[in-house]
Amino acid sequence: MRFTRRSVLQGLALAASLPAMGRSPFAQPADALRKVIPSSHEEIPAIGLGTWITFNVGDDPVLKDECAAVIAAFFEGGGRLIDSSPMYGSSQPTIGYGLKNLGYPDRLFAAEKVWISDPASGPEQIEASRAYWGVEKFDLMQVHNLVSWEDHLPMLFEMKAKAQLRYVGITTSEGRRHREIESIMTSEPIDFVQLTYNILDREAEERILPLAQEKGIAVIINRPFRQGSLIRQLDDEPLPEWIAETGARSWAQFLLKFIVSHPAVTCAIPATTRVDHVRENLEAGGGVLPDETMRRRMVDYVEAL
Amino acid sequence: MSEWWTYTPADFLMFTPRVYVRLIERYNQDFWPLQLVFVAGMLAIMVLAVREVRFAKVALLPAFAVAWVFCAWQFLWLRYSTINWGATYATMAFSLQAGLLALLSLDPNHRIAVSRLRRYGGMALALFGLLVHPLLALLSTRSLAAAQTFGMMPDPTAISTLGTVLAIRGRRLLLLLPIPLLWCAFSGLILLAMEDRGAVVPLASIVVVAALLLVPGRSRNPPGNP
Repeated sequence: MRFTRRSVLQGLALAASLPAMGRSPFAQPADALRKVIPSSHEEIPAIGLGTWITFNVGDDPVLKDECAAVIAAFFEGGGRLIDSSPMYGSSQPTIGYGLKNLGYPDRLFAAEKVWISDPASGPEQIEASRAYWGVEKFDLMQVHNLVSWEDHLPMLFEMKAKAQLRYVGITTSEGRRHREIESIMTSEPIDFVQLTYNILDREAEERILPLAQEKGIAVIINRPFRQGSLIRQLDDEPLPEWIAETGARSWAQFLLKFIVSHPAVTCAIPATTRVDHVRENLEAGGGVLPDETMRRRMVDYVEAL
Repeated sequence: MSEWWTYTPADFLMFTPRVYVRLIERYNQDFWPLQLVFVAGMLAIMVLAVREVRFAKVALLPAFAVAWVFCAWQFLWLRYSTINWGATYATMAFSLQAGLLALLSLDPNHRIAVSRLRRYGGMALALFGLLVHPLLALLSTRSLAAAQTFGMMPDPTAISTLGTVLAIRGRRLLLLLPIPLLWCAFSGLILLAMEDRGAVVPLASIVVVAALLLVPGRSRNPPGNP
């Protein structure tokens, strides 16, 4: 376990507040931000749950229970969208374990990926993923990292037409293949695009996010904390006082508010192994969203550190 | 893989160090005290082989084959592959290595390397994998419950194999080097991505093997062989 100033302070705060409040100080926001999926006008909470690395715990019963507790807290806090991939090791069965413990919550928005170079094996992989999750069908199926997307997308559109899934998307991360992403967004009737965007990685602002708005494509944001390194980098820096007016009380909330306040962004998917962190993340979807002026101020502040 | 130059070892790390350490701890608990049997058994065979005891010389490579099969089956296939799909491919490589060890054990013409440097360097590396490597868990702020021992875990098994092969003379035995060397590189990168100080061990082993390979296996004028 990694002890940081942030985790120790939060642990102390939690310990102090539990007797009085009976729950975490990062409680479910009553005014949780919801965003609209342009292709259907369905609303989903702006904070989702990623599972890369964090839910890959093998068959370790202790760690599986910890992940199940994270999933429970996620739904308790009003969360809906959980995202995974066949590439994420044992994350899929771990999600299935957590969902089964909760009796498969109705409001789950199941987002998965197809990740296989052989196009003929795509349906088989999707079925295996579905069995791991234990769900009837997925809400969203994305082509992971554009692997064989020319072949997988027609298959996914066909599944959507047969009501075997509700949305189709594509993914990338860390700024890779943005030209190709743009091309697919322009030429294919996809519902979602998933990519990396955070306060330091803002390349998507130039072309992809405006294009998503123009084309009516929902946007999922991965690596909001650069796999935790952004939080570790900022942990010892003072949180600016002026951010308090948005309701942000931690760097995690600062960073998430920056992301979901972009008008093109539909949902950010931070991953965590900790219940207090998932509550903290969900709370970032409440309060006041930074406006354009404050967003610029946030960028300037972080870049100056 | 497109834009491969943008990837770093950390991009391939699929699990947290905590998950990895707990995996090893639970694996060790499942088989304790088999770890002692592997280490003591291999040590005895090595010592007797050096003393030219015929049974030990015959048993040396098959004993390594058993260790590689056990690592492949119990650790890589049944356990590690649950958190790292790359371990599935490593299982195949380890099985191939076990097959090579078994096959080459049929050749009776292996001799201890005549070059002192290569002989003692190889033996030192083999003994390091056998006796010192398990203690490295303490350096990585783990307890001995997560110790990696010969026959149970790939790193010490690969390192001991490399050392032993170098200490033996036999051109065809060089076939036994690529797979353990590749494993050391793979394991070193994974440990580096986990920011584990133990990463230096498999990576340094590669350097040691490369250096010892530059030393001829036999002396220019070996005794009794003018």
